[in-house]
Amino acid sequence: MKEIFRYGLVLALICMIAAGLLATVNSFTKAKILAQGQKEEEVGLREVMPEAFQFEPIKSQTGEILYYKASDKEGRPVGIVFKAEGKGYSSTITTLVGMRDDFSISAIKILSQNETPGLGARVSEEDFAGQFKNKKDLNDVCAITGATISSKAVIEAVKKKVEEIKGLIKQ
Amino acid sequence: MKRKLIVSSSPHLHKDESVIKIMWMVVVSLIPAGAVGVFVFGLYAFWIIILGIITAVFTEGLIEILTKRKVTILDGSAVLTGLLLAYNLPPRVPLWLPIVGSFFAIAIGKQVFGGLGQNIFNPALVGRIFLMASWPKYMTAFTKPFDTVTSATPLALLKEAKFIEQITYLDLFLGKRGGCIGEVCIFSLLLGALFLLLRGYISWHIPIPYILTVGLFAYIFGGKTLFSGDWLFHILSGGLILGAFFMATDYVTSPLTAKGQVIFGIGCGIITSVIRLWGGYPEGVSYAILMMNAVTPIIDRYTKTRIYGTRCAK
Amino acid sequence: MRKVIGEFLKGIIKENPTFVLALGLCPTLAVSVSIINGIGMGLAASFVLVGSNLIISLIKNFIPQRIRIPCFIVVIATFVTITELMMKAYSPALNRALGIYVPLIVVNCIVLGRAEAYASKQSVVNSFFDGLGMGIGFMLALILISAIREFLGKGELFGVNLIRGFEPAFFFSLPSGALLVIGLLLGFFNLFKAKS
Repeated sequence: MKEIFRYGLVLALICMIAAGLLATVNSFTKAKILAQGQKEEEVGLREVMPEAFQFEPIKSQTGEILYYKASDKEGRPVGIVFKAEGKGYSSTITTLVGMRDDFSISAIKILSQNETPGLGARVSEEDFAGQFKNKKDLNDVCAITGATISSKAVIEAVKKKVEEIKGLIKQ
Repeated sequence: MKRKLIVSSSPHLHKDESVIKIMWMVVVSLIPAGAVGVFVFGLYAFWIIILGIITAVFTEGLIEILTKRKVTILDGSAVLTGLLLAYNLPPRVPLWLPIVGSFFAIAIGKQVFGGLGQNIFNPALVGRIFLMASWPKYMTAFTKPFDTVTSATPLALLKEAKFIEQITYLDLFLGKRGGCIGEVCIFSLLLGALFLLLRGYISWHIPIPYILTVGLFAYIFGGKTLFSGDWLFHILSGGLILGAFFMATDYVTSPLTAKGQVIFGIGCGIITSVIRLWGGYPEGVSYAILMMNAVTPIIDRYTKTRIYGTRCAK
Repeated sequence: MRKVIGEFLKGIIKENPTFVLALGLCPTLAVSVSIINGIGMGLAASFVLVGSNLIISLIKNFIPQRIRIPCFIVVIATFVTITELMMKAYSPALNRALGIYVPLIVVNCIVLGRAEAYASKQSVVNSFFDGLGMGIGFMLALILISAIREFLGKGELFGVNLIRGFEPAFFFSLPSGALLVIGLLLGFFNLFKAKS
């Protein structure tokens, strides 16, 4: 019985030291990690909506970001940026989409995917993703030969989200 | 002294067959299918086949010399591997593709395990899968028959739920469709298969259950409603006939007993159908055979025949 | 001094964690797609190995025998978390490339294996060099595997395209390609061992 207390005590001591150490490291890196995340997001936003100057996140009642409102230097709205997710061949493909006020796509960027290299993974390439630029009707986007499932996943996800966002704006 | 008394151990009954003879017979039985392939897709396909064979033989010899083993390039098995690999390629692949594929098939699929009789997987299919994973854009680019225009295979069209152009069962049977070089002409494949069956080089225990299973699955699940699928289309398209008669029946990588072979065939059929009907790829014959190759030792273990004179294990 | 050098060197060739001990193959398979990833993973694992070996060797007399594994894991997990936080703050791109395999260093059998088999029995100095040697051995193995895979699978080394017109075999970027490369390298390692 005495042993078990000794074990508990030793383990607790080690855990306490570890926790203290981690708390210290965390306090140093927290701000930096947050800044890195924001910087990354900003780079992505700029990429899909180059004409915009500022991005303002629009949140739902539960606090999750629905989309970003993009505006130019004078503060005039130019469009919105949002994320679209779709189930591809072997992964969920997340796409960042920039849409102008006239509902044409400014650009898209594949944020994350884990599709087959050489086939589905080619959705990230300019040959495919570049097709979305300045399009209103996404039915014109050609799927990659041999990677129909991944291509369709991106196209359908963007289409669906566009409709969703249109509905949100009207409200 | 012509009638010497030779004392040797069993078996005492000999048949005038050998591995070498059987291998060459299989090669011969495959010639008609390849000839039609070349006729349908042009002389370019012929060079693919030749390069596949030469590379396979060369690789086999080279590795056997390097590892100081007996050189067995004349036993026909390397020729057969190269030939089958080339038959499994689309007709307009770049010419280095059969070379790389054959090299991989022999080096990794066969020699790494120790040569003929030691390999776990069908070497030609190992080569094909490697090419499929490595250069999918070439391996999925098919052409129309008698033409160099690219078009999808009937199975791929079915998968994308597109309208299938006027393609009749007769077209499929005779080989007037897009597909791999050796798989298109069902008629000549069946001719070769019949020859092998009649000579007893292969038995029906693998191919027939395999094909029937695919047909049954296609009939039950292949249509818009249950029991309305186009089973004949599924049997006649893709590489099913080539795979069932010439690759699933590979002595080295399939079960030994008749019972085991039937299980093997049904297993191949189920996997092929599942891939064709619900999977990401339009065709699943090569994956099905490779997967069943992997479970062959287990099948053999559970279908072992009782040694004559011993009791059944309790 | 000679002993210490021996402890350091054995991890690189004679007891190479990947090719001889065949430990930690899961992260090896997963991250060895490019050399940069391999070096990143190797450095992270080396840091954790050296740190945990050092601390465990220091406190080995203090830890009761029966609860040594949880104690080791806490020490290892602490170092891994430090590594992960640092990576997120200063090298987010690498962190994203390595993904889940950074936190998974906690259960990397090299780290726990060295703690259990070596650091909990040996002096602090020896443990430090054992950890360093093992870490570098692991990193060298990763670099070798990832160099082969990056070249054959992407036609690149360090992200630079080497030969124009070379069409890479994507197979080597896939997990199955990693298994094949590791298997063949293990075979060659055994061949040389058998010869010498």
